[in-house]
Amino acid sequence: MLSEFQQAFADLVSSPNLCREVRERPNVLRERYRLDDREARRLLGIVTHPRMAANCTLYRANRLAPLALNLPNLLRALGPDLRHVLDAFWQEHPRTDVHFYVESYRFCEFVRTELERGRRLGPDVARALERDAMTVADRLEASHTEIYSPLRTPFTRAVDQ
Amino acid sequence: MRIPQDVPARPAVGILNNPAVPGIMEAAGSLIEYVEVIPDRLWFDFGSGERGGRFQKAHGTIATLREQSGAQTMVGHGIGLSLPSAMPLDQEMVAEIASLNDELHFAWYSEHLSMFLMPDRSVPNAQAGLGLPVVYDAETFAIVRRKLGRLRSALGCPLLMENPTIFTPVPDMDMTEQEFLSRLWVEEGVGTLLDLHNTYANWRNGGPEPREYFRQINANAVMEIHLAGGDELDGYYTDSHSRLTPPEVWDYAYEFGPQFPNLRGITFEFHESYFPRIGLDGVVAELEAMHALALHVEATRAPEHAL
Repeated sequence: MLSEFQQAFADLVSSPNLCREVRERPNVLRERYRLDDREARRLLGIVTHPRMAANCTLYRANRLAPLALNLPNLLRALGPDLRHVLDAFWQEHPRTDVHFYVESYRFCEFVRTELERGRRLGPDVARALERDAMTVADRLEASHTEIYSPLRTPFTRAVDQ
Repeated sequence: MRIPQDVPARPAVGILNNPAVPGIMEAAGSLIEYVEVIPDRLWFDFGSGERGGRFQKAHGTIATLREQSGAQTMVGHGIGLSLPSAMPLDQEMVAEIASLNDELHFAWYSEHLSMFLMPDRSVPNAQAGLGLPVVYDAETFAIVRRKLGRLRSALGCPLLMENPTIFTPVPDMDMTEQEFLSRLWVEEGVGTLLDLHNTYANWRNGGPEPREYFRQINANAVMEIHLAGGDELDGYYTDSHSRLTPPEVWDYAYEFGPQFPNLRGITFEFHESYFPRIGLDGVVAELEAMHALALHVEATRAPEHAL
């Protein structure tokens, strides 16, 4: 089924762990997705291709781009925790929001929730989070170009609170 | 089916629009004959249900483009529709593109022969870099054809599809990429946007030899070519639009450009974040070189070139 093939391909590109799992046990593909033999063979050919790593690298680089652009203080403050926090964020939000400010604010909300749950992150994370979140919230509000209302979005409401 | 067209003897020279382009227009506007606009960069997409509408427009940029459109041709180059995806066409986005077309009057409109959207995941392309390869078979062809038909109805201008950059080819396909593009031209009148740098990038990463690839392209289908430069990332060469066009790509353009009888435009793509590296002088030199290429194409291809 083509849609399942495409979904599986995208899932593999976003997850080096899934790639490893499929390489070790190809049946994983048929267990998770509705694929015919040819589609499963194609995916196995792709996932074992020497340049599959390039797909995975570029996926991560492109998902990181809006965060690096808009949340420099937060990313710096996360330091060695950044990789694991990103993995968890991308696991929870498999679809990138094409609006860079929404994507960035969503990451702020995610980190805020992690802190509220008691996760121990670097000493400067909370302060960097509030600073960058405010900046992004302002930019996000400015991107509402059709009707201006400061209380309209959940993002700005969250900042106001 | 053929697109009725009046192909000029000399292809026009254009540039992909970005925030650095207005400054380049001020300094060297006479070198730019068309501006290629990415609609997705002219709005903020908040998703369905947002008060004020899903698409909230960058009104200032659109006003600037509208003003420019009096003197310059505008061309559309979309990245958001992900036409080969096995999911419904985003009709709201098509309507938004059509609305933009009403203002800017695109001479033609192109999309990518890559997948960026899946039902439960998206692959962020950040303007350049990562689109997933497409299965070239009858099922995908039917999906793309159906969506292109609706896009054509909405826009009313010629449509083009661009050859992709890929790292991992799909094994055991029914058609080659060139055959797929050729069928779009022969059966649907959808032209080819031949990105020479994409083919170069594919070769740098172990893909087909570019000249061999170009020889298999339906020459009549090619209506636009793209020039660009890229960088290495973790040992892979990427189509990052981060440098001037490499010499090898210029060689391909000089060799194959005159063989495309319906070639209308030569476009330089760069991302604004690399403008400090490329510099105004670099872009101007690139545009001058593109004009020399356009003259070469005019001088070399047959007078009765338009098929």
